[in-house]
Amino acid sequence: MKSSKQNKTVDIDFRSPEYYFNRELSWMKFDERVLSEARDKNLPLFERIKMLGITASNLDEFFMVRVASLKDMVHAGYKRKDIAGMTPKEQLSELSKVTHDFAALQYSTWGRSLLPLLKENGIRIISHHEELTKAEGAYLDRYFEEEIYPVLTPMAVDSSRPFPLVRNKTLNIGAIMTPLKSTNLLTKGQEKEGGKKGNKEAKRDFALVQVPDVLPRIVSIPPEVSGNAEERAFILLEEIIERNISRLFLNYRIECAHPFRIMRNADLTIDEDEAEDLLKEIEKQVRRRQWGEVIRLEVEEGIAPALLKILVEELNVEEQDIYRINGPLDLAFLTRVASLSGYEEFKIPSWTPQFPKYMNRDEDIFTQIRKGDILLQHPYESFEPVVDFISSAARDKDTLAIKMTLYRVSGNSPIIAALAHAAENGKQVMVLVELKARFDEEHNINWARTLEKAGCHVIYGLVGLKTHSKIALVVRREEEGIRRYVHLGTGNYNDTTARFYTDMGLLTCSERIGEDATAVFNMLSGYSEPLSWNKLSMAPLWLKDRFLYLINREAEHAKAGREARIIGKMNSLCDPDIIEALYKASAAGVKIELIIRGICSLKVGIPGVSENISVISIVGFFLEHSRIFYFQNGGNEEYYMGSADWMPRNLDRRVEIVFPVEREELKADLKHFLSLELSDTIKAHVLRSDGNYEKPDRRGRRAINSQKELCREARDTARKRQETMKGRVFVPETKPADETPDTE
Amino acid sequence: MKLFAAIDVGSYETGMKIFELSRKSGVKELDYVRRRVDLGTDSYNTGKISYERMDELCNVLNGFRDIMDSYKVESYRAYGTSAIRETENTNVILDQIKLRTGLTVSSLSNSEQRFLDYKSVALRSSSFHDIINSGTAFIDIGGGSTQVSLFDSSKLITTVNLRIGILRLRSSLTELEPGSINYERLLNELIEDEVHTFRKLFLKKMVIRNIIVVDDHLPYIIHKLSGNSADDSFDSSVTADQFVEFIDKLKQMSNEQISKEVGIPMESSPLLLSSSYIIKQLIKAMEAEKIYVPGVSLSDGIAYDYAEKNKIIKSGHDFGQDIISSVENISLRYRGSQGTGSLLSKGALAVFDGMKKYHGIDQRGRLLLEIAARLRDVGKFISLDAPAESAYSIIMGTEIIGLSHLEREMVALLVERSYTGDMTYEDVMVYGLDEKSYLTVIKLTAILRLASGMLRSHKRKYESVKAVVREKELIITVDTNDDISLERGLFHRRAGLFEEVFGIRPVLKKKM
Repeated sequence: MKSSKQNKTVDIDFRSPEYYFNRELSWMKFDERVLSEARDKNLPLFERIKMLGITASNLDEFFMVRVASLKDMVHAGYKRKDIAGMTPKEQLSELSKVTHDFAALQYSTWGRSLLPLLKENGIRIISHHEELTKAEGAYLDRYFEEEIYPVLTPMAVDSSRPFPLVRNKTLNIGAIMTPLKSTNLLTKGQEKEGGKKGNKEAKRDFALVQVPDVLPRIVSIPPEVSGNAEERAFILLEEIIERNISRLFLNYRIECAHPFRIMRNADLTIDEDEAEDLLKEIEKQVRRRQWGEVIRLEVEEGIAPALLKILVEELNVEEQDIYRINGPLDLAFLTRVASLSGYEEFKIPSWTPQFPKYMNRDEDIFTQIRKGDILLQHPYESFEPVVDFISSAARDKDTLAIKMTLYRVSGNSPIIAALAHAAENGKQVMVLVELKARFDEEHNINWARTLEKAGCHVIYGLVGLKTHSKIALVVRREEEGIRRYVHLGTGNYNDTTARFYTDMGLLTCSERIGEDATAVFNMLSGYSEPLSWNKLSMAPLWLKDRFLYLINREAEHAKAGREARIIGKMNSLCDPDIIEALYKASAAGVKIELIIRGICSLKVGIPGVSENISVISIVGFFLEHSRIFYFQNGGNEEYYMGSADWMPRNLDRRVEIVFPVEREELKADLKHFLSLELSDTIKAHVLRSDGNYEKPDRRGRRAINSQKELCREARDTARKRQETMKGRVFVPETKPADETPDTE
Repeated sequence: MKLFAAIDVGSYETGMKIFELSRKSGVKELDYVRRRVDLGTDSYNTGKISYERMDELCNVLNGFRDIMDSYKVESYRAYGTSAIRETENTNVILDQIKLRTGLTVSSLSNSEQRFLDYKSVALRSSSFHDIINSGTAFIDIGGGSTQVSLFDSSKLITTVNLRIGILRLRSSLTELEPGSINYERLLNELIEDEVHTFRKLFLKKMVIRNIIVVDDHLPYIIHKLSGNSADDSFDSSVTADQFVEFIDKLKQMSNEQISKEVGIPMESSPLLLSSSYIIKQLIKAMEAEKIYVPGVSLSDGIAYDYAEKNKIIKSGHDFGQDIISSVENISLRYRGSQGTGSLLSKGALAVFDGMKKYHGIDQRGRLLLEIAARLRDVGKFISLDAPAESAYSIIMGTEIIGLSHLEREMVALLVERSYTGDMTYEDVMVYGLDEKSYLTVIKLTAILRLASGMLRSHKRKYESVKAVVREKELIITVDTNDDISLERGLFHRRAGLFEEVFGIRPVLKKKM
């Protein structure tokens, strides 16, 4: 029987397109899962609003990156099919349907569910200025005059003035208008000959004003103006401008005015081999991005056809790329609404990351690391030790050098400040700033310059490769000799996102990891690859091979009759080689459990192919971001973590690092973490064989929200430790002891 | 604890290792950086290193300096090997490097380079002494040539330099590679040609059981075959059959496949293949049984040598004796008398030791004196009339392991002038000696010439020799039962230079 099953396995073409989901459609499935959170009535109102806001920015990113890329492929006549057997044109057509449906669902969620709920709870969002009371209108007109008018740049279009540049992702108001006093002789003649209609069409002008992004999108109307102390009223900025648009074009009558928004092709493609100065090239590309092809036009559902016609013609938009929106454009403002102060009853209580379980505040960080590897679980545990790691090194007299990679950093990063401080203190500081971190380029260039000024040696990424790895190395000269301390992470060195992205970090002074970390930075500085690695696996060199080896090894265990299991937690899975290896492993009997937040091109439940594979996606209060990989390895369990997803871009086109976790206590922590996530019944979505996701069947199972549970555990651990510490402090009595007899 | 950098300006890449040297932990590697700078192709094809390559090299070395600064390195040694050595403009290149990087790079002679490699293996490998107890070939594959040193009963028998380096082989075939020519066949022919001569001249009937290979890439084959990690495989071995079988398998693969199979960077695959071909031919010629590839590089040797010379590490192995053994073999090849050589060296060293306070020469100079004493009569193999000139030519034409170019020149001059006793500063300047070397040579010549005067009859006569300076006289006391009247009578004819140099009159006495 066994041999016939094996023969059957040999016959299967694991690369057959029918076994794969298209990655773009899978991406949209993730957005749908986020949207389902916004629709979840069990969630607090503001959390739902936040989730809806997130779907808006997610969709923007999807268009700018993926739809744009597909458009490029179609324009270039590229017809190669993806792993799911779809041509770029087919994908675009399918995506158009999906994204239109998605937008419709977004706005029905807003209009039918959340907006009324807000009103019920005393928050009135005014979507149309026509709904304003007289007093409110007067107040906002004054606000317009004082605050908005000075920053507006109205632009009229006529034969002498070309259609203006409409910038990517900006909200604009388009208007059609006619001159109030027509003294033109030619017009008068036309009036006589062509009648009223002909004249009107001939004299119509188009005008445009950008809704300034320097002003808040939502404007609060004071209760004394609204006359309702029980309610807070807000109006969108574009509505105030629309209401006052005639004040911008004084000699015209406004026929109609509607907001619209465009999305341009923003995929950053740099020919790095030709770019003499990568920094300048990126700056150039950032500027150029505003001019990309328009790939989406969002307009109000009731937009005047004449205005839409002008926009479509001038912006060169195809029908399938027009989105008629029943509600305010660009719902990203909802994240601002969700962060309004007060309204605590509508919010999930804010979480304070706890001090990490393996650390203490009384000892210097290097001493603590010397005692054993330290696992950091963010945001359950604080990111503070990572900042402390760099800032302690910056102050420390024994530190010789600090080296680290920076991909995305926070606005006022304490890490950047510490690095600059270290360089000023005479330490050798080498920083690789990845300029190509999408949409963060401008921000990163600024930080890079700050670091350079402070005397750090800054490397602006590698030609042809994005450096996505998260690694920091501190070299110290200690009494016993040179010792290297390394921090390896799954997430960026960003103290802000570390509060709401779930990531893992490892602090170690393992000599072998230290050697590898040194080799990583040598390679990033342009030196040759070391002839061998001790512990780290690096993409694009060996990482994919390493993963394939580990998966295949598990398959061999299964074939030999040993228990075999793989658990993989990541953001996305779409690498065909990895999926094929997983299918083969599943066919060989390996139990594979995947926790994939986003894209998953793997299909579950295919007989003989993926029957042993299950996939869940956790969409919760925190953004799942860590990458953890477990291999049972015949009982000799191995755990790895790192920066790489199982995507071709991570494994083939990026510098990524995956590292083992070897300390037994930490392995146990990871085991617990993974099993908790796998048993999540509240925030998990289970992938079905048809590509849709559904909430797990909770019958007979305990309700588990893994993120909530991990918060609780972190808090309990911290509390217990605090109590232990308290117990060790002797408190002197300040008055004579109680006379109560001792009963024992 | 001391931080030390060893820089190797090699034929196809320039590398630097940072070491922590301490009495407690010995030599510990901290960092290793290398970058491909193909000096060899320039040097071997045109005899010169181009400006472009120079720029490239200086950029790399400036990067190394930054890394050295980051570790606060206290000492460094930087050496250029065959590509630097064989270029016509060596001094210009080294001067340019100094001016543009601030680093002093010296040119290492082939024999020095090989000796450093050998030293690092001998110092790092715990089983080295056991291995060389039976017939062993120590094969050091370089970019320009391959050094083969043969050991038996823990003694170095001979060392030969074969002009089959991995880069030189590739350069030789560059023009032949295109078209339908069988590249591997040609490569093998080139190697075989050299190996054939080696076998006839040096191998003869010697039984070689083990081969120790020093190469940058082959260690990864041993890792692969033995399943050991880089550190553990230092002393592990594979059988010659296993090794050859694996090499034959690699031959069928593309560079990418080799890279994946062995786990090395793809750019290293062609070099690994060239090394494999060389080793395969040598295994065939020697019929060896076991292969060891300990994975050391020149930088390791530089660090071990530095640590040993600075008394940071102690060696259980007498490296000076290795040099003497190989010198004895050179002497044997030219029918030199082992007895006379040994006796002459005994006498010369006794004088050297007795004159310690007066000559100020270090132990290295003592070694040069001993080498010269043992090679003094090799010239007679060519001409009994002109043994001095012949000896000079033989020595200058022979690789003496562990010696620099300058040291070999000093030994050759020392031997030659010990016959004549003439040595003016102007006279020896033409040989490229600096003032310090000149003074060393003239002092050692005076000692060697004096010692040769004690052996006029060329018969083994002395049990022991002692030399002590007393009141402006060097009293040399020999312990012998023979009549030394002849030596005593003619001794003063060889003492002129000695008296001139040291202002001390030597007196030969018989122990009573």
